[in-house]
Amino acid sequence: MATPMDEGDDSLYPIAVLIDELKNDDVQLRLNSIRRLSTIGLALGEERTRVELVPFLNDSIDDEDEVLQALAEELGNFVPLVGGPEHAHTLLAPLESLAGVEETAVREKAVLSLRKIAESLDVAQLDTHLVPLVHRLATGDWFTSRISACGLFAAAYRLNNDAKKAELRQSFAQLCIDETPMVRRAAAAKFGEFAGVIEPAFVKTELMTAFTALAQDEQDSVRLLAVEGGVAIARLLTPAENETLIMPSVRAAAVDKSWRVRYMLADKLIDLQRAVGTEITKADLLNFFVALLKDNEAEVRTIASQKIPDFANNLDEDVRLNAVLTLMMPCVKELSNDNSQHVRSALASVVMLLAPILGRDHTVEHLLPVFLQLLKDEFPEVRLNIISKLDCVNRVIGIDMLSQSLLPAIVDLAEDRQWRVRLAIIEYIPLLASQLGVEFFDEKLSNLCMTWLGDCVFSIREAATLNIKKLVDTFGLDWARSSIIPKVLSMYRHPNYLYRMTTLFAVNLLIDVVDVDSLTHMILPVVLPMAKDTVPNVRFNVAKTLEKIAMRISKDVIETHMKPVLQSLQEDGDGDVKYFATHALEAAGV
Amino acid sequence: MSTSDLDRQIAQLRRCEVIKESEVKALCAKAREILVEESNVQRVDAPVTICGDIHGQFYDLKELFQVGGDVPDTNYLFMGDFVDRGFFSVETFLLLLALKVRYPDRITLIRGNHESRQITQVYGFYDECLRKYGSVNVWRYCTEIFDYLSLSALIDDKILCVHGGLSPAINTLDAIRTIDRKQEVPHDGPMCDLLWSDPEDIDGWGLSPRGAGYLFGSDIAAQFNQTNNLDLICRAHQLVMDGYKLHFNGSVVTVWSAPNYCYRCGNVAAILELDEHLNTNYKIFNAAPQQENRGAPVKKPQADYFL
Repeated sequence: MATPMDEGDDSLYPIAVLIDELKNDDVQLRLNSIRRLSTIGLALGEERTRVELVPFLNDSIDDEDEVLQALAEELGNFVPLVGGPEHAHTLLAPLESLAGVEETAVREKAVLSLRKIAESLDVAQLDTHLVPLVHRLATGDWFTSRISACGLFAAAYRLNNDAKKAELRQSFAQLCIDETPMVRRAAAAKFGEFAGVIEPAFVKTELMTAFTALAQDEQDSVRLLAVEGGVAIARLLTPAENETLIMPSVRAAAVDKSWRVRYMLADKLIDLQRAVGTEITKADLLNFFVALLKDNEAEVRTIASQKIPDFANNLDEDVRLNAVLTLMMPCVKELSNDNSQHVRSALASVVMLLAPILGRDHTVEHLLPVFLQLLKDEFPEVRLNIISKLDCVNRVIGIDMLSQSLLPAIVDLAEDRQWRVRLAIIEYIPLLASQLGVEFFDEKLSNLCMTWLGDCVFSIREAATLNIKKLVDTFGLDWARSSIIPKVLSMYRHPNYLYRMTTLFAVNLLIDVVDVDSLTHMILPVVLPMAKDTVPNVRFNVAKTLEKIAMRISKDVIETHMKPVLQSLQEDGDGDVKYFATHALEAAGV
Repeated sequence: MSTSDLDRQIAQLRRCEVIKESEVKALCAKAREILVEESNVQRVDAPVTICGDIHGQFYDLKELFQVGGDVPDTNYLFMGDFVDRGFFSVETFLLLLALKVRYPDRITLIRGNHESRQITQVYGFYDECLRKYGSVNVWRYCTEIFDYLSLSALIDDKILCVHGGLSPAINTLDAIRTIDRKQEVPHDGPMCDLLWSDPEDIDGWGLSPRGAGYLFGSDIAAQFNQTNNLDLICRAHQLVMDGYKLHFNGSVVTVWSAPNYCYRCGNVAAILELDEHLNTNYKIFNAAPQQENRGAPVKKPQADYFL
């Protein structure tokens, strides 16, 4: 018989098992057990978690990396389990050890958890517990702990004590000139974050020395990370300060001998532009940007090309048009002939966005030749990128102008070897048609749409049938009856079954948009004889089509014309024809 | 298994999602009933679209259907090597098999040299089944079905389709018809040769560097076509960079339907559309776009270890 005492022990039995598992030889069991740590903590209660579980975990830190990584992650959620923020600092010890291990994944998780816990600490706890921890890591013998330290400065800086703040700043500055490149890299990566929390006065003085050191580092991997830090600082400074403090480093980055640094500058240029303001942009960044557009490395030109419209839009209005016309457009023209397809593709995806800036006349004079050039590019992605953005130009120069200049190119692309390019053109047709109007369409595009119905690629034929339906939506029934339906129906005589079926596929879509009269007197008389086709695939598609037509036409017509045909198909020698004919008869309810 | 079940499974497989193991078992049982009735020289009527090796390149198979049209609207004949090498052999083979069961008259599947227990254990299908189902049962069901796949197809009595090529032990179509095909692909003999041989610019027969099957010259092909009153031998089995290749003055053709084979060969693929008048029309196609995202499935290296 159990005493109340025993009962208490029984309730802890699962915990004992879990703790046992933490010592098990099998990694998998230890890992499972770590994943359930919060359950253990909850069951143990706050005090025992603090005085027993956390120290126990602290002792068991010699384990496989997988287990340690899980542990580092779990501990970040432990603040409520040890009794809330006032006891949160008790979690720091095991995480400090984890932040010093060799495996990067473990350290990163530990630093994340430390930052999470730091948020719940009050100023006094930061002062007594976290700040010494940061200093210990920052001065650790092994570089891994110094790397971890870099991620903790911003979290620890929330102090009242000026002397200790000064120590943190010095310690961080020291890490920026650490002997190990990996540490300097970590410091450069966290530079912007730290600059964001310290007092602006110190950014301009103490931290600036550290920044300059990073920006001039011998390792390009450090210098490229410094670019981002530079942008972060620039946001905090006045234009005059930026001119003296940041721009020298930017100038150096723009002509850095490593393309990766120049790439990074090009990538961050828009942010930098916003940070330093329009005057410096006009005086300096504009020239750097033009230089990056002409860079020797294709990667740099690619990323710079992507920034063209954003950069132009961020320019002051009084210089924008002139800068685009005189400085950027010559580059754009060169880039449209670039050797690298990736550069041309990047340019093609954004260049249309310059049209609103240039306005109608300049677009026609300067931008259209570039479009036309890129539309003829040998690389399909370039052509696609241009086509998919045509509507931007449309809005600026109007559809008439666009169609006059681009129509020949569109007609060319309508016969492009790559079927996906043809597909992109087809998808653009309904828009073009609605804006050009019916006359223009009949004259210039109607034949094209019929050609696609006979395309050798099924997906193009399918898209072409859908296009026909959209055109009927746009131009209305009368047009459909006189122009398009007769043409669609005429394909039923094609010698190849795949193209005869296209008639049926088109009819299937038209059923929903044409009137009952056309359905009964134009379409049905063409569909019904196709039930005698020699190819079973055509016959069962007739059955499928009739099933849909039956939904719309009168009972009489179904009974007298459709039913006999379906009944004969039901007797067909082909299993699929029988199946779909039976299905259609059932659905028609005759 | 009802038609609606089957339609649902086909829809699922078209999205490149595997079906349940129990569903595979039922599907294979149904497929066996259909395939056991087929001849070693399965009769096929034109029009039909002929396809070569697919090798588990599921998204490229979808590309093929985008170019050629979908089942059942377009008729298809696949000349084997559905599995191995690509990342989606399971989905590829099961989709084709499900379409075969749903539309037996619209799609014909014949056996390739990779439709074999031995070969699939080396080139990926076995491991893929194990990885995707956690057991080898699905592999076992599929390889049992491989034994029932026909060895060749004859279109309108004029075009012979076979995975590899000819055999010195086979002079007539009737010789193919007498093979007992319901077995693992043997190491030699007529059945092996049909799945392994290659055409080559030689006279008569030659030893194959593959270690199975033979090389056969234009005289052999001409003789065979004349004896059996054939216009063309259509086969797959060899990568050709342009997707298809005519041999021996057009008496033999290779059709290859795996674009950018193994996701790195840089070749285009082809299908051969035969219309109802036996006019030939080769359609070339490229690998499906965004292959880099769809190629290698997201890797979970520790999965086996944790299970």
